[in-house]
Amino acid sequence: MEKLFTINNKDFYHVSTTVLYTSSYNYLEDAKEFIHHNVVVINEEKNANLSDIPVSILQEFNCLDLLTKTDLTKIDNLKITILENLNTNKDVYVFLNVLTYLPREFKNKLITYLATQNKIIINYTEDIEESLLLNHIVVIHENQVIMEGAKEAILKEEKILNKLGFNLPFIVELSSGLKYYGLVNELYFNPESLVKALWN
Amino acid sequence: MRIITKLEPGKIYGLMGNISLSTNNNNYFIINSYKFKGIVKEYLNSSKAPMALKMVMLNETYLEKEIANLSPSEIKKVVLAKALIENKDYLIFDYFDKDLTTEEKKEFKLLFKRLASIYQKTIILFTNELSFIWDISSSIIYLENENLHIFSKKDYGILKYVENPPIIEFINLMREKGIVCDNYQNTADLLKAIYRIKEQK
Repeated sequence: MEKLFTINNKDFYHVSTTVLYTSSYNYLEDAKEFIHHNVVVINEEKNANLSDIPVSILQEFNCLDLLTKTDLTKIDNLKITILENLNTNKDVYVFLNVLTYLPREFKNKLITYLATQNKIIINYTEDIEESLLLNHIVVIHENQVIMEGAKEAILKEEKILNKLGFNLPFIVELSSGLKYYGLVNELYFNPESLVKALWN
Repeated sequence: MRIITKLEPGKIYGLMGNISLSTNNNNYFIINSYKFKGIVKEYLNSSKAPMALKMVMLNETYLEKEIANLSPSEIKKVVLAKALIENKDYLIFDYFDKDLTTEEKKEFKLLFKRLASIYQKTIILFTNELSFIWDISSSIIYLENENLHIFSKKDYGILKYVENPPIIEFINLMREKGIVCDNYQNTADLLKAIYRIKEQK
């Protein structure tokens, strides 16, 4: 894979990546470095303007209600920040532990939208369920990269993930149990394919 | 926050909804900010600090530590210690589950149980993750504009209002295939149910 850049001794490639970190890791050090690169960084800071977002985008993301809301919540402000930054000429979008607050439907639309625009996503999270969103995972603990690779390979390492304090994502944990009981032959990473394997 | 005064003390409640938390009541402590500078002792600023740290499972050595060098989990414990020093009856945790691993969430759940049962604190956990509060809350409150809905621990009516956890989404997919299955809150129970369903066929 072609290298994109290096941030605090971590190599990022031309592939959308989940940075799964334990709480021993301070991702703010990375955030300081990202500003030296041509990337969009989305964090919890409120500095977006709803009027800068095209109505077509609000419509696409089912967010037209924001136009009439008077008391914007944390989630509303996050949505506005993200939507305002969607149409830039930058190729990389970095989300610093913010997707975890958003509804699944919004998250999925966002990932699909950015993928169709050929953008690369880097998502910092401690939420193991979010590790299913992107194809590549870097696992960080105490400033060290513990594992790195394709989602399917990393999420098979149950013992290492457990040791770091993570469970498996629900669907992987369930398919792992079903595999143990001989009800399926492999691990599954999305619910539709597991239901299909069980009851087709 | 007027709703919260009606809650039974010494219990843990879940709170959900796309709302902002605020209060003017001196008996509430909303835990939602973790940006502090300096050392823990200065932040806590009380002779009760060692005892409060002990209550949140941190030892006295933390008094001299720089807050900036603590992990998110430790910072959350220090903020909780501050709330305990102020001795408020209602502790409201605003998206407290974010920035915590599964193991850390388990540890905090034990802590919440102790604070509720031993110290009669009313714990309110505001989150967008039903799975975080399902097993620990005696009731779950859903707030939508001015409408208030309260659900008991085993009442699955909450699923109509909030984003369903992955386990419920999976069960719904099973039902779409014509498979009859109850709702479950943990993977082990669902696994046993699927095993039974497959054995019957």
